Amino acid sequence: MGMRWIRPLSTRVEETAETLGGKAHGLVVLRRLGLPVPAGFVVTTQACRAFLRDGRLPDGLDDELAAAVTDLEAATGRHFGGSQVPLAVSVRSGAGVSMPGMMNTILNLGLTTGATAGLAAETGDSRFALDSRLRFLSSFTAAITDLDVGRGAGDETPIRRRGDRPIPDDASRQLELAVRAVFSSWDTPRARTYRELHDIPHDLGTAAIVQTMVFGNRDDHSGTGVAFSRDPNTGENVPFGEVLFGHQGEDVVSGRSLTRPLHELADREPAVWTGLLDALGRVEGHYRDACYVEFTFQAGELWILQVRPGRFVGGAAVRVAAELADERVIGRHEALLRISPRHLQHVRTPRIVATADILARGLGACPGVAVGRVATTADRAVRMAADGPVILVRPETSPHDMRGLAVAAGIVTARGGPASHAAVVARAMGKPAVVGVGDLVVDVAGASVRAGGRTIGEGTLVTIDGTGGEVALGSPRTVTTAADVHLRRLLEWADDVSGDHSERDETRRLDAAHAVLRHD
Amino acid sequence: MNRPELPATGTGLLVLHALRCGGSAGLTRLARATGLGESDVESELIDLAVAGLVTHMAGEFGGWSLSDTGRVVDAERITDELESAGARAAVTAAFDGFLVLNPELLDLCTAWQLRSVDGVTTANDHGDPSYDARVLARFAEFDRRAAVVGAELSAALPRFGRYRTRLTEALDLATSGALEYVADGTASYHAVWAELHEDLLATLGIPRWV
Repeated sequence: MGMRWIRPLSTRVEETAETLGGKAHGLVVLRRLGLPVPAGFVVTTQACRAFLRDGRLPDGLDDELAAAVTDLEAATGRHFGGSQVPLAVSVRSGAGVSMPGMMNTILNLGLTTGATAGLAAETGDSRFALDSRLRFLSSFTAAITDLDVGRGAGDETPIRRRGDRPIPDDASRQLELAVRAVFSSWDTPRARTYRELHDIPHDLGTAAIVQTMVFGNRDDHSGTGVAFSRDPNTGENVPFGEVLFGHQGEDVVSGRSLTRPLHELADREPAVWTGLLDALGRVEGHYRDACYVEFTFQAGELWILQVRPGRFVGGAAVRVAAELADERVIGRHEALLRISPRHLQHVRTPRIVATADILARGLGACPGVAVGRVATTADRAVRMAADGPVILVRPETSPHDMRGLAVAAGIVTARGGPASHAAVVARAMGKPAVVGVGDLVVDVAGASVRAGGRTIGEGTLVTIDGTGGEVALGSPRTVTTAADVHLRRLLEWADDVSGDHSERDETRRLDAAHAVLRHD
Repeated sequence: MNRPELPATGTGLLVLHALRCGGSAGLTRLARATGLGESDVESELIDLAVAGLVTHMAGEFGGWSLSDTGRVVDAERITDELESAGARAAVTAAFDGFLVLNPELLDLCTAWQLRSVDGVTTANDHGDPSYDARVLARFAEFDRRAAVVGAELSAALPRFGRYRTRLTEALDLATSGALEYVADGTASYHAVWAELHEDLLATLGIPRWV
């Protein structure tokens, strides 16, 4: 049958990211590059727009979903919600841009009680099947809890509070609810606010991507990870990322579990590593830029789940642009146009050197380097600050920590993201901060901090880098010139373009080249 | 609807609890947090200090703070107040609403401090009034939704009404040009919101770190 609202994730799909959403469009690119992508389909942004306009899923979508699922069953030889060889799927939102406040991912959808028993029988691993079922229940509940799924529809009462609605034990019904949850999440107040702030039109809508599950929690040769084709901190041409053995995808992104450096894949799963390097090479060739991918491997087999350009900044952006020009992937003019004068400011932010003894890594929340002695409470920070600079290290911060935040030279927290209390306060005070250090344990009673298998006492000298998110022992050398050699060459190219080789500041040299290039 | 008048929280407990939720502070901040006059606050602090519930530290980063006993006593009295007002269900429901709003408030503070220019995230230097006005307009819209939760809270326990007053003051000051009242100091919208967060956790007896 002809599909109006659904497209398969196939090489033959012609539509743009506007219709498919950015994520699904990336998956089509991956398929065209011959890379392994789990079979699936996408419910288009048009269907979302119709849903948002009418308050109900468009006519005919039910039948199309059923037909698309039948195709998926045929392609995989599995049965959706079936008690033998069951098919489970992931459902993800996929707008043109990623947006906080929108529904993220439902994993393992279709694992009804019967299908879970079927999965246990098929794999001989009932613990795996149960683990997967629990992940489905928690992600499904989270997705529909705060959403007004039935908004506008006559037959549904709004869902507002936890536990109002039982989760249906019917795979097709689960899928329909999940698609509605994805579409509704476009209009949460938080997502609306984000769009207002970032000039994103409200009428774009999101797509919903439905894909065959691959299980990172399947066995000892399974796992999940994220990878950049080049180092996003320095721009160096080496793969960079994290891998989590024996887990499913959301655990990496959420930072809930202990991840390992990406290169550990090389030893533990050499075939997966080789496949990943090949994939990173191909996506770089396509995007002609450093790239980011999310991947899962199941029983030693690699699958790519998402791709996008890397969006590097500062010195890393300068180095990638210069080296891509050297590799003749892009021209020098394009390299110049990829660097905004804003990047030059960031090149000048100090960074700690790569040889530093790294105790832990988190998210850089406020750029800059700070050196000081570890304090684990605000009170001790205040007392210790009389004798020299202090780094306040906390599980997370609250108003109780304000005095400590005020006296500290830098801030480290185990929890929280770039918008956490600590991050907001650190930026208000202009202090370097590292947040979300996953394996950091602050032992206030023992006056010590544990991370990366090491324990250090209060008073230990550490250095933090609020750009790259590193916490290093001692006071390693810092540099503001890591990208200098690349920056110098890029600016020489800029002078060649503008024809002006006089002594001027860097921003003016770049601006002059941009003026010529944009005029042509 | 006619509501029975709820008893106001005693001034001693107000001061004690302000230290519990806002961290250590001087007279000016405690007066602002409680809505009491500075001399009243000081007189309560002296009584609390005699009872061993608060201590005073001198110096630039000094001020009044809770003793360990003060923390325990505050928890007991705040729980008593919650239960005797029969307010647990209402405060719990309002806290659910707060938790939906909280990430959005943090998004707004981030947008206030950082902005993306040419794809590069940079500190907002507040040199572009139109960008700041846009963020503040979102704050105002957010605040209207936050006021609904605030009204639920003060209907349950009148002392929560003080947060609404302080949030409104901070937003009014910020929109009239005092930009530091968005996220920069202890009287900023962000700081008052964080105190409210701490208060809800303390009132419901929810530990911050499990």
